Amino acid sequence: MAHARRYIWWQRLVVPLTLAPALGLIAVLFGTSVLYGVAQSLGYLPFLGQTALTLSAYRNILGGANVAHDFWISFGFSLWVCCAATLLAGAGALLVVMLYGDRLRGATRGLMILNINLSFPHLVWAIGLSLLLAQSGLLARVATALHLIGMPADFPVLVRDRYGIGIILDYITKETPFLVLILLSILRSQPDAFGVVAQNLGATRWQRLRYVTLPLVLPGLSAGALLVFAYVFGAYEVPAVLGVQFPRMLSVLALEFFSNPDLHSRAEGMAISVIMALVVLVVALLGRVVSNWGAS
Amino acid sequence: MTRVVLDRLHKSFPTQPTPVLAGLSLDVHSGELVALLGPSGSGKSTVLKIITGIEQPDSGDVRLGEQSLLHVPPHQRGAVLMFQKAYLFPFLNVADNIGFGLKLRGASKQQMRSEVGRMLELVELPGIERKFPGQLSGGQQQRVALARALVVEPRVLLLDEPLSSLDTAIRHTLQETIRRVQRELDITTLLVTHDLQEAIAMSDRTALLLDGMIEAIDRPEALFQRPPTQAAARFMGISTFVTGQVEGAQLLAPWGALQVAGDGERPHAATFAIRPEHLRLLDASAPNAVPGALQDVVYNGEFTLYRVAIGADDVRIKAYQAVPHQPVGTPVYVQFPPEHLFEVLV
Amino acid sequence: MIRQFVWNIFLVLAGLLLFAPVVIFGLYGFSTRYFYPQLIPSYWSATTFLRQLTDARTRQALILSLEIGTVVSCLSLLVGYPAARTLGMRPFRGKSVVYMLLFVPTVVPPVATGIGLNILFLRTGLAGTVLGVALVHLVPVLPYVVFTLSSVFARYDPHYEYQALVLGASRVQVFWTVTLPLIFPGIVVATLFAFLISWSQYLLTFLIGGGQVITLPILLFSTVSGGNPQATAVLSLIFVAPVVVILIATSRYLATDRVHGQSGITL
Repeated sequence: MAHARRYIWWQRLVVPLTLAPALGLIAVLFGTSVLYGVAQSLGYLPFLGQTALTLSAYRNILGGANVAHDFWISFGFSLWVCCAATLLAGAGALLVVMLYGDRLRGATRGLMILNINLSFPHLVWAIGLSLLLAQSGLLARVATALHLIGMPADFPVLVRDRYGIGIILDYITKETPFLVLILLSILRSQPDAFGVVAQNLGATRWQRLRYVTLPLVLPGLSAGALLVFAYVFGAYEVPAVLGVQFPRMLSVLALEFFSNPDLHSRAEGMAISVIMALVVLVVALLGRVVSNWGAS
Repeated sequence: MTRVVLDRLHKSFPTQPTPVLAGLSLDVHSGELVALLGPSGSGKSTVLKIITGIEQPDSGDVRLGEQSLLHVPPHQRGAVLMFQKAYLFPFLNVADNIGFGLKLRGASKQQMRSEVGRMLELVELPGIERKFPGQLSGGQQQRVALARALVVEPRVLLLDEPLSSLDTAIRHTLQETIRRVQRELDITTLLVTHDLQEAIAMSDRTALLLDGMIEAIDRPEALFQRPPTQAAARFMGISTFVTGQVEGAQLLAPWGALQVAGDGERPHAATFAIRPEHLRLLDASAPNAVPGALQDVVYNGEFTLYRVAIGADDVRIKAYQAVPHQPVGTPVYVQFPPEHLFEVLV
Repeated sequence: MIRQFVWNIFLVLAGLLLFAPVVIFGLYGFSTRYFYPQLIPSYWSATTFLRQLTDARTRQALILSLEIGTVVSCLSLLVGYPAARTLGMRPFRGKSVVYMLLFVPTVVPPVATGIGLNILFLRTGLAGTVLGVALVHLVPVLPYVVFTLSSVFARYDPHYEYQALVLGASRVQVFWTVTLPLIFPGIVVATLFAFLISWSQYLLTFLIGGGQVITLPILLFSTVSGGNPQATAVLSLIFVAPVVVILIATSRYLATDRVHGQSGITL
C-alpha cells in the first residue's frame, strides 16, 4: 500500500521535475530580460537612486520632438521593409509550390540544397549580397561587360539605399526557401488522394491548384509569413550591414539609443525595444492563431 | 516452477469513470498456461503491465511464488512480456535482438551464439541470425520475439494478444508453436486475448475478465460447455436464454414448459442456457420442442445459422449438419434437449 | 516542352541562389587589386586568405565560436531532453502554456533580450565572459531544441522501452541501448540547430560579450565596417565553411523537409 502511495506521489512530480530545468532557465534568462527591460524603460534604475516610474521615455519617442521624429520614421521604414519582404517572399514561395510542388516533393537532393541555403547565417548572406549588388559590385561589373553601363555610378543604388532595397532583397532570397519548405511539408502531410479525387471529379490541373492545393496551403503560408514578418521586424544584423544611416530600421535605432551614455537615451532605447517586442508578439500570436485555425 | 498470484487488484485511470480493475484475484499454477479472456478495453493488458511493473496497482498484491513483486523494479522481476507487435529493435539483427537480455546479464559471445541458435531451433526458424527485423514477415517477427523472451528463462511468460495482428493460417501455426514451447519448457504463462477460439485452444484454464473482475475460470471444455453465469455464457457464444420458474424437473417459461435435468431443489425462478449447436431445428413437434417461425438463414461454411422467432424472442441455432432448405416464414419447431439445458447465474 | 524549359531555368536560378555567395567570396577573396570593372580577377592570389587564416585573432575567434557552440549544444540538450520527452509523451494540463512560454523567446527581437539582460549580466559579473555569452545564446537555442526533440517523442513508441525493461535492462541501460539509438536522428538535428544558431549569433554576443568575447561573427562584422572586401570575403568563407561541412556530414538526417518546416526555424 505504502509503495503505491509513494509511486503516485512520484508520478505527480515527474512532469514538473522534467520541465523545471528548461522552463527555469528560460524564466530566469528571458524573464529577467523582460523585467529589467520594461523596468528601465519606465525609468526604474535603483542602483542610481531612481525608483520613480515614469512614462517619459515612451512619451518622448512617441510624441516628443526630435526623438519621436526618428522613431516614427524608423517605425514606418521597418514596416515597409517587412511588408515588402514578407509579401514578396510569400508570393514567391506560393508560386514555386503551385507550379512545381509535385516535382519538388520527391527531390531529396534539392531539399538538401534548400537546407544548406537555410542554414547560411544571415550575416554572411547579407555580406555576399552587398558584394554582389554594390555599385562597383559583381552585378555592376557584369552589366559593364555587357555594355549596359559605363561606370559604377550608372548602376542603381541597391544596397545602403534609402528604400531598403538591399535589405528587402536579402530577406526575400533567404525567406522564400524557408516558406517553400514549410509549404512542402504541409503538402507532404496531406494525402495524395485529394488531388486524385479532384481529378476524378473532372478538375483540370489549374483547377486542382486553385481549388485544392491553394486552400490547403494558405493557412500554413499565412502563419509562416507572419512568422517571417515578426522575425524581419526585429532583426539587427542584416539592416546593420545593408542599411544606411537614414532611415534606420528600428533595431538599429534602439541599439544606438541604448549605447548613448545619456540615461534618458538608454531608457528610450529600452522603450523602443519594448514597443518592438509588443508588435512582434501580436504578429506572432496572430500567426499561431491562423495556423491553428487552418489545422482544424 | 513459479506460481503467480494476483490478490485483489484495483486500478483506475483518471480518464475513465469506472475502475479498470475492481478487486481482481487470480491464481496461476506453476507450469500452467492460463488464458485471460475478455472484450477489448476490459483491462486485460493492464493486468499484464501490473505484473511486469510497468504499471502500479492502486491497491492489491502481485506475488511470484511467495515473494511480493510490488517493490521490485520491472527489470528485476523475471516476468517477460510479449506484445501485439513484435517490437524487435530495428537497429539490431535477429541474433542481437534475441541475445539482448543475455548481453545485459553479461553472457559471453559463445554462450550467446549457442543460446540464440538453440532458441531459433525451438521456434523453428534456424539460420536467420544475420537478418534484420525489416526483412522478416509478421509471423517470423513474432517467433523471434518469442525466442527473445524465452532465452532469458523468465519465471513467468506474459503474452498480450501476440497473434491478433497475424493472418488466420499463421495464427494457428503460431498457437501450436507457443503451446509446444511452453509445455516443453514448463513455463508458467498468462495469455491475454479477446479471441475465444485462441483461449480455448491454448489454455489449461481459461479465465473470463468482465467488469474488472474474474467472472469465471475453469478448464476450457467446462467453461465453454457449461459457463456459470449469463454474462460468461454470452461471451462463450450462447445467445439463447430461457427464464422461468423451475419446479422439480420442469421449467415453466412464458411460452410453454420444458423438461430440464432437475435436481430436486425447491421451486425457484431461474435462467437456463443452451449452446446454439445443441438446439435442433425440426419441422414437426417433438418432446421439448417449441413452435416458432423461421426468420433468417445464413450459410457460414462449417455451419448454418438459423434464426427462429419464438414468441417475442429470437433464438439462434447453429446446425453443423445440413438441414433441408426451408423458406423464411415457415413454421418450425425448435427442440431443447434437456441434457444440454443448464442453469446460469444472472 | 515550354514547361520543361522553364523548369530548367528555375533549377539554374535556384542553383545560382545557393552557390552565388561562394562564387562571390571566392572571386573577392582570392584576388588582389580586384577593382571595378574587372569581372574575372586579373591577379589571383591566396595571400589574403592565408594571412587571415593564420592570423591569431581569426584563430582565437574560430576557437571561441566552436567552444561556445559546443557548450551551448551540450547544455541545451541536457536541459531540453527531459522537457521534450515530457512534452512529447505525457498528456498534462497547461501544455499549451508551456509551449507558449518556450515560443515567445524565439520571436522577441534579440535587441530587446540583449538589452534587457545587459544590466543583469553586468551586475552578476557574467558580462564579458564566455559563460555569459553561452548562457544568453541559450535563449534562442533552447526552445528550438525542445521543439525538435518533442516532435520526435510525439512519434515515439514507448513499447520498445517496455520490451527492454522486461528483458532485464535497468532504466539507465534502456536509455543507452534502446532510447538513444531510436531517437538518434532527432538528436543529430537538434544538436545541429543548437550549434548553428549559436554559431550565427551576433547581436546577443555583442551585447553581452561587450567587446571582450570576440567570436567569428563579431570579427566578421567589424571587418565589414572596415570596408576591405578582400578580408571580408575571406573571413566570410572561413565563417561559413564549417557550417557547410557539418551540414553535408549530417545530410542524411536532414533529408526530410519536415525538419525545418515543423520547427519554423529562421536563422
